[in-house]
Amino acid sequence: MIELTAHGVAFLTNTRTVVLADLHLGKSAAFRAHGMPVPEGDCARDLGRLSQILNELDARECVIAGDFFHAPAGMTEEIIEAVENFITEAAMPIHFVLGNHDGRIGRMPHGLKWIKAHDLTDGIRIVHDPADAAGAGFHIAGHLHPVVKIRDGKRTSIRMPCFYFRNEVLVLPSFGSFTGGAVVHPQAGDRVFVAMREQVVEVPSELWKSSLT
Amino acid sequence: MAKVKLRKWFKQRGWKPFPFQEETWQAFFEGKSGLLHAPTGVGKTWAAYLGPLMMTDPAASGLQILWITPLRALAADTLRTLREPLQDFFPKFQAEARTGDSSASLRARLRKNLPHTLVTTPESLSLMLTHADFREKIANLRGIIVDEWHELLGTKRGVQTELCLARLRTWQPNVRIWGLSATLGNLTEARRSLLGSAFSESVEISADLKRTISLETCIPKEMSRFPWAGHIGTQLASQVVTCIEKAQATLLFTNTRSQTEIWFQQILAIRPDWKSLIAMHHGSLDRADRELAEAGLRDGSLKCVVATSSLDLGVDFSPVDQVIQIGSPKGIARLMQRAGRSGHQPNRTSSILCVPTHALELIEFAAARDAMKSGEIESRRLIKCPLDVLVQHLVTCAIGEPFAPAEMRAEVQSAWAYENLSDADWAWAMGFITDGGHALKSYPKYRKVSEMNGRYGVEDKRLIAQHRMSIGTIVSEPSVSVQFASGRSLGTIEESFVAKLKPGSRFIFSGKALILVRLHQRKATVKVAPKTGTGAVAIWGGSRMPLSTELADAMARRLGGLEDQDGPEMSAVQPLLDVQRQWSQVPGTERLLIEFTRSREGEHWFIYPFAGRLVHEGLSALCAFRLAREIGESIQTTQNDYGFSLTARRGLSLSEEYVALALTAENFYEDLIECMNSAELARRQFREIARVSGLVLQPPPNQRDRGQRDLQVSSSLLFEVLNRYDPENLLLVQAQREILEKQLEMTRLSEIIKRCEAMPKALIETEHLTPFAFPLWAERLTALMPAGDAESRLEAMLRELTRAATNLA
Repeated sequence: MIELTAHGVAFLTNTRTVVLADLHLGKSAAFRAHGMPVPEGDCARDLGRLSQILNELDARECVIAGDFFHAPAGMTEEIIEAVENFITEAAMPIHFVLGNHDGRIGRMPHGLKWIKAHDLTDGIRIVHDPADAAGAGFHIAGHLHPVVKIRDGKRTSIRMPCFYFRNEVLVLPSFGSFTGGAVVHPQAGDRVFVAMREQVVEVPSELWKSSLT
Repeated sequence: MAKVKLRKWFKQRGWKPFPFQEETWQAFFEGKSGLLHAPTGVGKTWAAYLGPLMMTDPAASGLQILWITPLRALAADTLRTLREPLQDFFPKFQAEARTGDSSASLRARLRKNLPHTLVTTPESLSLMLTHADFREKIANLRGIIVDEWHELLGTKRGVQTELCLARLRTWQPNVRIWGLSATLGNLTEARRSLLGSAFSESVEISADLKRTISLETCIPKEMSRFPWAGHIGTQLASQVVTCIEKAQATLLFTNTRSQTEIWFQQILAIRPDWKSLIAMHHGSLDRADRELAEAGLRDGSLKCVVATSSLDLGVDFSPVDQVIQIGSPKGIARLMQRAGRSGHQPNRTSSILCVPTHALELIEFAAARDAMKSGEIESRRLIKCPLDVLVQHLVTCAIGEPFAPAEMRAEVQSAWAYENLSDADWAWAMGFITDGGHALKSYPKYRKVSEMNGRYGVEDKRLIAQHRMSIGTIVSEPSVSVQFASGRSLGTIEESFVAKLKPGSRFIFSGKALILVRLHQRKATVKVAPKTGTGAVAIWGGSRMPLSTELADAMARRLGGLEDQDGPEMSAVQPLLDVQRQWSQVPGTERLLIEFTRSREGEHWFIYPFAGRLVHEGLSALCAFRLAREIGESIQTTQNDYGFSLTARRGLSLSEEYVALALTAENFYEDLIECMNSAELARRQFREIARVSGLVLQPPPNQRDRGQRDLQVSSSLLFEVLNRYDPENLLLVQAQREILEKQLEMTRLSEIIKRCEAMPKALIETEHLTPFAFPLWAERLTALMPAGDAESRLEAMLRELTRAATNLA
C-alpha cells in the first residue's frame, strides 16, 4: 500500500520505504555564488526534516527520486559534510535516482551513488522524470514540482503543491523548501492530492476542473 | 553677447524668443540650476538647450551637454530638434542618442568617444556609470537637462535619476542641472528632489503662457437611455465618428488598452471605408506598428489614432487638431497633458472633447473644468529612501570606480530621497552588497562588492556583466509575444492573460479578431478569426487608475452645489440627480451620505467619501472587518472612485452606533494591518524590490541564458526564505511600507478616515438602488481580498462542496 503523507513524501507500507523527490540542496548557495544575497538555512532544515520523517515513520529504506542537488556552484563544503552526516546517521539504505540537476555535480559526498531508476520488490519503479516511466506497471516520479491551481469562484485562486496521479504514474511534490512549483493541468481521470491540516486529502475534480475554463 | 546671437538665430527663423526662454538662458549663464515649468510644445527644448549650447567650449572634447529623457520613444525626436542649433552654431560637434534601442555599433562607438551632446535614459546613464573611464569623458560637462521630470518624479526611476545626478555632481561640482516639467501641484518639491543639495542656489521659471484649454463634452442625445454604470461605453460611438469626420486629424485617448481595441473596432464598424485612415497605439503593440501610427500622425496621413497613455507625452504631432478623451480623465494634470496634444503651438487654444462612458462621468468633466480654471493640479507624492534602488546604485558605482564609504554616503545623502538616510539603513545597505546583511555568518560564500585598501569595488567579471544586464527599476509583467505562424509579430501581451485562454479562444488584439492556436515558450501563435461566428471577446485588464484626490474633491464640490450648477453637463445629468434627490440625497462635502437598502442578496450600505478607488479599497476592507467582528456575518465590499458598499446577508442594520464603530480613527492602523492580509500583499510587492535590489535576475527578453537556469526563483519564494532565515532584512520592511502606501495610500487613508469620522452623517434608508449606489452594486463581482491561508480557504471550499452535495441528496 502507498501512503501519501502531509510532509510531501510517499510511504510504501509493505517495505517501509520512504520515497521523495526534488530537494535541490545547495540552491541558495548557488545563488550566493552568483552574487545574490540569499540566506542559508534550507539545506540543514530540509535534511533535518527528512531525518525526522524517516524516524517518525520507522522507515527501513529511502529512495530519492532525483534532483537531490541543485547545481555545481552550490556544492559547498558545508553541504557535502551535511549530506555525509545525514547518510551515516540515517543508518538505512538510501537510493539516489539521478535527476537532471544532479548530472552536472562534480564533487560527490562519500557514500553517494547514482542509479538511473530504482525497482522495489513489489513491482513499483521509481524514476526522476515522469517521461521515463515507460512500460506498464506503477511508477513514482518527481521532476515536475507539481502545483495545483484551485479557483475559488471569487476571481482569486489558491496554489498548492500536490501529489499528481496520472496514467499509473504518481508524481511527488518537490520536497526542498527553496524550490518553486509548476502548475499542472489535470485531465479527466487524473487525481490530485494535497496536504491540508496534517492530512493528505484528494482535491475533488469539481475544484480543479474549473481551472481549465 | 550669447543672447544677441540667439536672438539673431531666432530671427532667421522668423521667430522671437519668449521671455521665459531668455530668462532661462540668463539663469544658465549666471551659473544657476533650476526647474522650468511649461506646457508641452511651447519651446521648452530651446529654452533649456540653447543656454548650455552657447557655453560650449569649442576646444574641448568629450561630452558637454547631457539630455536625460524618460521615454526611449522621445529620444529620436529630441535628437532631431537638438541637432538643428548644434549644426548652426558648432558644425564640428555631434549629437547622439543612447537608449536601450540603440544599435550595438552605435553603442560601441559611444563607448569609445562621447559626442558633444548625448540624449539618454536614466537606465542608460546608470549603465554608463559602470564604465571606468566615464568620469574622464565627462570632464567638460556643462549642463544636464532632465526632460519630462514630472514623469520620473515619485517613481523609483526618479530616485535612480537623483542618485545618478548626485554622482555627476560629485565629479563635476559646477555642472548646472535643469529639469523640465509639466504643470504640477508641488513644483518646489519637484525642484528640490531634482537638485538635492544644489537646491538652495536654484531658480524656478514658469513659462506662464496664457494657453487656454477648452473642455467640451459630448452630451448623449438620449440621456434617458444612457447607462448609470460601466466603463466600456461605446454608446456614443456614432456621435464620436461624426466629430472625427469634421476634424482634420484626431487623437482619441482611452484609459486602457482593451478599451483602445474596442473603440478601434467600433469606429471601423461604423466607417469601414476608414480602414487605411485610422490606426491604434498602445504599449503592447509591435514597435513597427506604433512607429507607423506616429509617422501617420506627424505627416497628416491618418485621420484618427486611438491611443492609451502611450501617446500622452512628447512627440510633436502638429497636424492634430482634435483630441478626444473617452471616459473618466482620472486626473486634471493628465487631462491637460492630453488636451495639449492638439494645437501644438504656443498661444493657441488647446481643446479636448470628453466622451462619457456612464452618466456620472459628466459631472467629472464639469468638475475637471472647474479645477483647471482654479488651477488645482495634482501633486506627485515623492518616494523617500527606497533601499532596493540604493543597493543597486551602490553596486553600479562600485563597478565604475571603487568608492570610499564615507564619501559615498555623503554623496548619496546629497540626493534628496536619501537626505535623512539613517546609520542603520546605510550599514545594512553596505552589508547587503558585501557580506549579505547584518550577520556575517548568515551568508556564507556570498561576495559581490569587496573591500581593497578602504575602497569598495567589484572584481568578478561575471558579476559585473550580470549587474549591467539588470540595471533599472522598471519591472515588467512577464509577457509573451503574439505572432502569426508566418512569424509576423503583432506585439506582446501579459502572460497572465494568455494563460487564461485555451487554444481556439477568440480575442481582439492589434485591431484584429484572432484565434489562439497555441502557446509555447513565451510565444503565442495566432491566426485571424473567421468573419462569421462570434464568441466571447476576451478582454485583458489594465490597471484601473484611481481618480485623483483633486478631481474627486472638485467633483464633491460640484455635487455639493459649491460650484455654480450651470453648464451643459450638469443640465444633462440633472434628471439623474433629481432621482437621487427624490430617493435619497445628493452626496457632497457637507455631510457624509450613507445609504441603506435591502435586496435579495441581503443588506447593503453605500458610503460616499469621494476619495478615489484606492482609499475606498482600504476603507471598505476596514469597515467590513470591524462590522463583521460585531455582527458575526461575513461582509462583502465593492468600491469605485466615488464610494464603497458593504453587503451582508443579514444583521447590517443602519444605526449611528454601527456607523461610528466602522468609521472611527481609533486603532485604525492595527485593524487595517489585520484585515488587509498585509503579509500576502507585501509578498506581491516584493517582486519589484527583489528585482531592483538584484535578488532575482530578469534577463532581457529573448536572451534567456542557459547558464542562468540554476538561478531562477520566484520572488514569493524568496520572500518566504528571507522571512524564515533573515527576518530583519530591511527589504522586507520596505515591502510592507511600499504596499501600505501604494496599495492603500496610507497617508491619505488616515486623513480620510479622520474626515469621515468628524463629518456629520446623513443616514438614509432607500427603497431602490439610487443612481450613485447602482454602479457599486454592479461591481459586486470584483475580486475579494482572500482571507486566510491556502489551507483554510481550501477547507472552506471543501465544506461548501459537501454541503451542496448533501442538499442535492
